[in-house]
Amino acid sequence: MMIRPYLYTLLFLFLTVVFSIAIGSVFIPPADLGRILIGWLNKAAFSEPLKTFSFIITDIRLPRTALVLLTGAALGGSGAAYQGLFRNPLADPYLIGVASGAGLGAVLAMSIKWPYSFWGLMAVPAAAFIGALLTVVLVYSLARIGKTIPTTNLILAGVAFGSFATALTTYLMLRSTGELHRAITWLNGGSSQAGWGPVLTVLPYLAIGLGLLLLSGHALNLLQFGDEQAQQMGLPVTRARTLILLAASLATAAAVSFSGIIGFIGLIVPHVMRLWFGADYRRLLPLSLISGAGALLLADIIARTVMAPQELPVGIVTALVGVPFFLWVLRRAKNQGYW
Amino acid sequence: MFRNLLFALLIVTLLVACGPAGISTPTAVSTEPPASAEPSAPPITLTDGLDRTVTLAGPAQRVVSLAASNTEILYAIGAGAQVLGRDETSDFPAEALSLPTVGGYSGFNLEAIVALHPDLVLAGGINTPELVASLEQLGLTVYFLPNPATLEEMYINLETVARLTGHESETAALVESLKARVAAVDDKISPLSYRPTVFYEMDATEPTKPYTAGPGTFVDLLIARAGGLNIGAELQGQWAQISLEQLVVANPAIIILGDAAYGETPEKVVQRTGWLTLAAIQAGQVFPIDDNLVSRPGPRLVDGLEAMAKLLHPGVFK
Amino acid sequence: MLRIENLSVSFGMRRVLTDVSLEVNSGEVLALIGPNGAGKSTLVRAISGVIPLEKGRIHSDYVSGSSVNLLSLSSVQRARSLAVVPQAASMPPAFTVWETVLMGRTPWLNFLGQVSASDEAIARLALQKVDALDLSARRVGELSGGEQQRVLLARALAQSTPILLLDEPTSNLDLHYQVSFMETVSALARRDNLAVLVAMHDLNLAARYTSRVALLVDGKIKAMGTPLQVLTPELISIAYHLPVQVIPHPFADVPLVIPGNTAPVKTP
Repeated sequence: MMIRPYLYTLLFLFLTVVFSIAIGSVFIPPADLGRILIGWLNKAAFSEPLKTFSFIITDIRLPRTALVLLTGAALGGSGAAYQGLFRNPLADPYLIGVASGAGLGAVLAMSIKWPYSFWGLMAVPAAAFIGALLTVVLVYSLARIGKTIPTTNLILAGVAFGSFATALTTYLMLRSTGELHRAITWLNGGSSQAGWGPVLTVLPYLAIGLGLLLLSGHALNLLQFGDEQAQQMGLPVTRARTLILLAASLATAAAVSFSGIIGFIGLIVPHVMRLWFGADYRRLLPLSLISGAGALLLADIIARTVMAPQELPVGIVTALVGVPFFLWVLRRAKNQGYW
Repeated sequence: MFRNLLFALLIVTLLVACGPAGISTPTAVSTEPPASAEPSAPPITLTDGLDRTVTLAGPAQRVVSLAASNTEILYAIGAGAQVLGRDETSDFPAEALSLPTVGGYSGFNLEAIVALHPDLVLAGGINTPELVASLEQLGLTVYFLPNPATLEEMYINLETVARLTGHESETAALVESLKARVAAVDDKISPLSYRPTVFYEMDATEPTKPYTAGPGTFVDLLIARAGGLNIGAELQGQWAQISLEQLVVANPAIIILGDAAYGETPEKVVQRTGWLTLAAIQAGQVFPIDDNLVSRPGPRLVDGLEAMAKLLHPGVFK
Repeated sequence: MLRIENLSVSFGMRRVLTDVSLEVNSGEVLALIGPNGAGKSTLVRAISGVIPLEKGRIHSDYVSGSSVNLLSLSSVQRARSLAVVPQAASMPPAFTVWETVLMGRTPWLNFLGQVSASDEAIARLALQKVDALDLSARRVGELSGGEQQRVLLARALAQSTPILLLDEPTSNLDLHYQVSFMETVSALARRDNLAVLVAMHDLNLAARYTSRVALLVDGKIKAMGTPLQVLTPELISIAYHLPVQVIPHPFADVPLVIPGNTAPVKTP
């Protein structure tokens, strides 16, 4: 097994995590960082300013880092899965309407005044999650013909329903009495809650979804030859495609429920991995997962420091930084037939 | 390729490090938060707009305001010296501009807020429950001041903030003077029988389908109180859209440009296609107004009322 | 041996295959010929299980006497009995030849696709048999049509099945590759005792390299037998709507079909 791709991507991930913890809108001098680290090891009590710094790291930066990593991993992994499933280089996790369904669910939930309690605050993420999953189920049922799910039908049904959901969401936002700002902020991925709550909530779904995806590398390889050849080589095609679709959608739904709609990670990260490390999905999936986490975290770091104390929405950074980077990688690609 | 990756990461690091420093190292706030002004005073317990019970040991001395209206309230009641930080939209009074910002347009910066060590964070209707929950999670004391629907509710908000910051007596006086000014307006309006119809323009990016203030908004309330009839009261929603045709039929006597801050002027309005037929334009009854006076739920709403009254009944209000 | 009985396939209301019955013995190559639209590809796809049958039976009979109903098998089990060599159109260009051939081992691997040393040995052997071992590291997208077709054959061979189905494998190949491919196929059938069914266009290639021929016209088997029996002027002219002449092959003991003629053909 080739070690180097994993080495590079894990190193990238490690570096971004280090930066994420060390950098923020509050400047913590590196020397103080060292002292805090030593203090943790000795279980020492801190005095100011280390006390505040330590608090910022443990209660703000660490949970946020964890949530962003999970989101990026979900987007990268499911992006690779969608591209393999649909055999389409333009596929991304939102292809069959997951994003639009999540947005509709969230905006619907925002129009109700929930009590300020644990469950009340979970209402919007839960509604987004349910909206995303319902969309997948609906699109899947619409596209089915007998025992097969033709790829074209899936895409068409997904795009159609996605447009419908987006239009409905926009309409609701226009008629909203004050929730417009909140809805826009959510859709751009900027209003996740602090603390470990979101991380713990999202973790089981991501574990299941991404876990299943990581086991599906071989199946995705076979599917690249087309449904017929894959079946002729022994893959139970309908079952495999359904499983991969649901696993990827589960991961995506969990990711967007707290982080909103962040684009380009799911589209670009798998392509970069493919260009650099080849098209074998057994490798592509875990590498896209790791790099997606690192890439989104990098975007998040930029988003919260470049114009501090103002925070840019992460979705803007992924587009503004991700696209030029991808074009650079594409230009430098030596192999023509990388897809 | 590995080297290239490292190189790229280095570039990013440099970019990030060169970015504006934002909040500088909080040496000024490195000491523990000072004890309350009156150690023997009983703790302050209130229920905020999200039905949360908020308790303070004493009047707050280090306040961070997350809404422009809250900032205005704090300064108006004399608590300006106790404010440490503001959101980006807070631009009044001028002294507030020198305060460090903690976010506003696209989310709030939790690190910045924490680094200021506030003993009270004052949130407003414009802030989300998620933000309140996040701040609470970080151990901060947050009070959510709900948006008032009437002037009376606004006075109550003033008194609430006064209790939170220990300025009850000044605020009582402030509220009295505000009530007096409002009463003065009422007295001059009530004998009048003429109520001009008013079109309050919130947004006219699409001149054929402008937006106006609908029923139940503060603008609607103030127009009525200032002795006018808001055309928008017949429509639906807070941001009510009206077509140019409907506007022509309604034929308001006065047009008030609430979007003057965004560059709309009476001269520009005249040039809009189809607007020339409106009586208000031909009579030159198009006036700009500072939208912040009529939409920010703070004491300046009374200023807004007076400004509105002057526009609607210039003969009575000099 | 592969035994098909009364196989019928419909697409919606349209019947495309009617009561097709044929047998392919182990060690022999059966050519399936017929005009465009006769249903050759459909028959291959139906046997391999990717198209549902309206009716019919497909069996794999063994020398021991046991017989397996291929329709009752799962995808994996069926893939262990028969392998398909499709036309070389649209292969994913990014995989290497080695990776592609290894995928043929799928029905014998776990669902993670983990390959053992013996799987690799089988793949290597398959590549050797088609004389493509030196192409192993190349990406499929860089290969010529002939090379790609050989890779697909190697993949099917790596699947280690007693039955092999080929769907118009020589359609996109030049003269050299056509001949070498068919030589390889017939040699492999003999040596490894495979039952091979080849759907093909080229009548003379079929005559030269297969032991039996089945003529499929409008979804029905019009004739089946040795090349000499099936490749007659009457049968071929009617099937292809074209007058043809058949003469003995100059150096092989098979018929040679030549399109066009001088004498008129009596049409019934």
